[in-house]
Amino acid sequence: MGDTILTMNEIDKSFPGVHALDHVNFEVKKGEVHALMGENGAGKSTLMKVLTGIYTKDSGSIVFEGKEVEFHNTREAQDAGIVIVHQELNMLGHLTVAQNIFIGREFKKGIRIDDKKMNEEASKLFQKLHIDIDPTEMMSNLTVGKQQMCEIAKAISHEAKVIIFDEPSAALTETEIEELFKIIRDLRKQQLGIVYISHRMDEIKVITDRVTVMRDGGYVGTLITKECTKDDIINMMVGRVIYEDPKTESAVPKDAPVVLKVEKLNAGRMVQDVSFELRKGEVLGFSGLMGAGRTETARAIFGADPKTGGDIYINGQKVEINSPQDAVKYGIGYLSEDRKRFGIVVQKSVAENSTMAALENFVKGLFIDKKKENKIAQDYVESLATKTPGVDQLVVNLSGGNQQKVVIAKWLIRNCDILIFDEPTRGIDVGAKNEIYKLMNRLAEEGKSIIMISSEMTEILRMSDRIVVMCEGRKTGEIDISEASQEIIMNMATREIG
Amino acid sequence: MEKIKQNPIVKKIGINRIVLCGVLLLMYAVFCMLSDKFVGMQRIMSALNYAYFLGFLSLGVTFVIATGGIDFSIGPVMFCSALISGYCLTSYGVPMALSLVISVLVGTLFGVFNGYFVSYWTVPPFIISMASMNIAKGLASVFTKTQSVSWPQSVDANGWYRSFIKVGNFPVGLVIFLVFAVLCSILLNQTKAGRYILSLGSNKEAVRLSGVNVKKWEMLAYVICGTLVGIAAIFYVAAYTTVQPGYGDQYNNEAIAGCVMGGTSMVGGLASISGTVIGVFIIALLQEGILALGFSKDYQLIITGIIVIVAVYADVATRRRKN
Repeated sequence: MGDTILTMNEIDKSFPGVHALDHVNFEVKKGEVHALMGENGAGKSTLMKVLTGIYTKDSGSIVFEGKEVEFHNTREAQDAGIVIVHQELNMLGHLTVAQNIFIGREFKKGIRIDDKKMNEEASKLFQKLHIDIDPTEMMSNLTVGKQQMCEIAKAISHEAKVIIFDEPSAALTETEIEELFKIIRDLRKQQLGIVYISHRMDEIKVITDRVTVMRDGGYVGTLITKECTKDDIINMMVGRVIYEDPKTESAVPKDAPVVLKVEKLNAGRMVQDVSFELRKGEVLGFSGLMGAGRTETARAIFGADPKTGGDIYINGQKVEINSPQDAVKYGIGYLSEDRKRFGIVVQKSVAENSTMAALENFVKGLFIDKKKENKIAQDYVESLATKTPGVDQLVVNLSGGNQQKVVIAKWLIRNCDILIFDEPTRGIDVGAKNEIYKLMNRLAEEGKSIIMISSEMTEILRMSDRIVVMCEGRKTGEIDISEASQEIIMNMATREIG
Repeated sequence: MEKIKQNPIVKKIGINRIVLCGVLLLMYAVFCMLSDKFVGMQRIMSALNYAYFLGFLSLGVTFVIATGGIDFSIGPVMFCSALISGYCLTSYGVPMALSLVISVLVGTLFGVFNGYFVSYWTVPPFIISMASMNIAKGLASVFTKTQSVSWPQSVDANGWYRSFIKVGNFPVGLVIFLVFAVLCSILLNQTKAGRYILSLGSNKEAVRLSGVNVKKWEMLAYVICGTLVGIAAIFYVAAYTTVQPGYGDQYNNEAIAGCVMGGTSMVGGLASISGTVIGVFIIALLQEGILALGFSKDYQLIITGIIVIVAVYADVATRRRKN
């Protein structure tokens, strides 16, 4: 680790009604990877937005390379050498890799764009980073992982001195993460300052040198990664210890009835001949790497996407599910991994979202019975311990974990017996995660059957009674929790089908 | 300012609606000062005549915009309704009551047409409503053999339909319009249909994945719009008697302007019927004022255009601030 390149002193920022940053300190040295951690809403993003000029700070100072700076927009920050690699990729699919990297500052020959030079420059850049990507490839043909590499290359091409990675691994496979880490280590060697924001504790241990933890907009402390344990960090984040115990035995009796049976389900390339059974009161984990076809399977069962073949039986009866409407009729509820797009209507209230799937039960004559609606929404706010000022609060103002609870309430109010949780804790902070787990266990105990798609191994091992593993659109394994281990599952998830 | 915003009464009515009412009164005061012709009931009645048909168009398009769609066919469809039903009345001797029904029916059918293609065929609303705008114009011309149609005067045997807008000096139209506005407000805010229309305007996919038949409800918004456009046609002829084929587009912008000015968001999900009502009154007063001050109708076009830009910008800006 070298000299300090960036220091943020006593940064303070308030929004109407929220003290988002309370005199936060943060520094980055040359050649270090500095993790920035905290639950959702702890202020990490706000701090980075203040740094890159998206927000203006109320007080405090930012010193970059020995000089006090104040950026007014991301462009200025970029020009100075501070770049963010966002979690959501901002790439144009119909342009080539090189065109994306140099967008907005294309090389020109006269008035024409010099694609040849751009390709050459991009090649050089990739060589420097030891990335193997063809600059002339269409961006949309690349995997998410490769696209992210391009984002990084783009950041480097700005002659970045500080790179901020905002949850870079969220959409990556294990191998892609490995590659990402290789690049990050390379950048570290080149004396860049790196800020690494992530919820994944294991990665923090592997890749970072120091960890700064924030909580509720305040600075909690900075630790040297090597000298602290996972529990230390979690303690700082939530102020309490959380144990992550794997389940060792299935809680489902052997003779529990099969509530859902899927036979040779087909839907495009991503779902091929998938068959499985789900029992009453069971949590069936769906494991696999990104792009294994788990979400696609769930969506096909739910009728959200068209099927090309296969049969579905509910409680032994063969059923036709051609739309989400049909699925809901048969008591299936789907909780998407992308809540904002597929789960909630952000401009509507907690109550309105809660009754979305069962509105016909809340109609008196021609009108919606708002009293009844508010009452049931309030009941579920209480029983799920949803943190909201009231049921008339717009869900956009809730945190990720609480939004997820509103979606759960929606399906419980609809009285669904089969719940498909797709990445139930993605983007949800550690404390709220635990609550969601407890809630899922409670639902299973009450006789609901749960399919849980998850990319986090700890989550799979902790929650599932039985695990189905998929790889490239096919089911490649099924295993009882008593026999499952990380190694076995990973083996199945990468198995080649002969 | 913050204090005023937090006042419970202000919160209930909504700050932007209070501001709009202020604008409306201010405009009236300014027009009265600039022209003494403006003082008195006559101008107000004349402005109201304009407000009725425009109001129904605006109420209708509010439902469509609430879904995140748009309808550029409302003006021409209104004319088409008035022409077809009027031609039935004057040339085929269809009774007055039935003619009025035909007018509503024609509007509704266009709503069904637009809504069907938008929701079941997923044709962009912009495209389909442009197409039906032309269809409406062409159909009306063909049906009437490119003749203008004159509806009966008050004194004629069939003139009773004109009492929809006034009896003596009493503005019946205002009462009817406000009753419809209240009904629309109830429909939008207190029924399942309204709930789904607003929700799908905000996030259609999330509503679909809740097991809701979004196609049906999206189409319904266009049908409601069409029916209100058919009613608008009746109020148009009750005020102005004569309709010519080939026109009507100028009212699209005015109706949409009234709607967005009132706080309905062009991206869908947010709509205010009371806002639309005030917006319509502002537009109607504006057109009356411009005429009273001796300017040509062209100025009104320019001003409505600017109003649309300002209102949409205000909507976009508040959204950005909230984010």
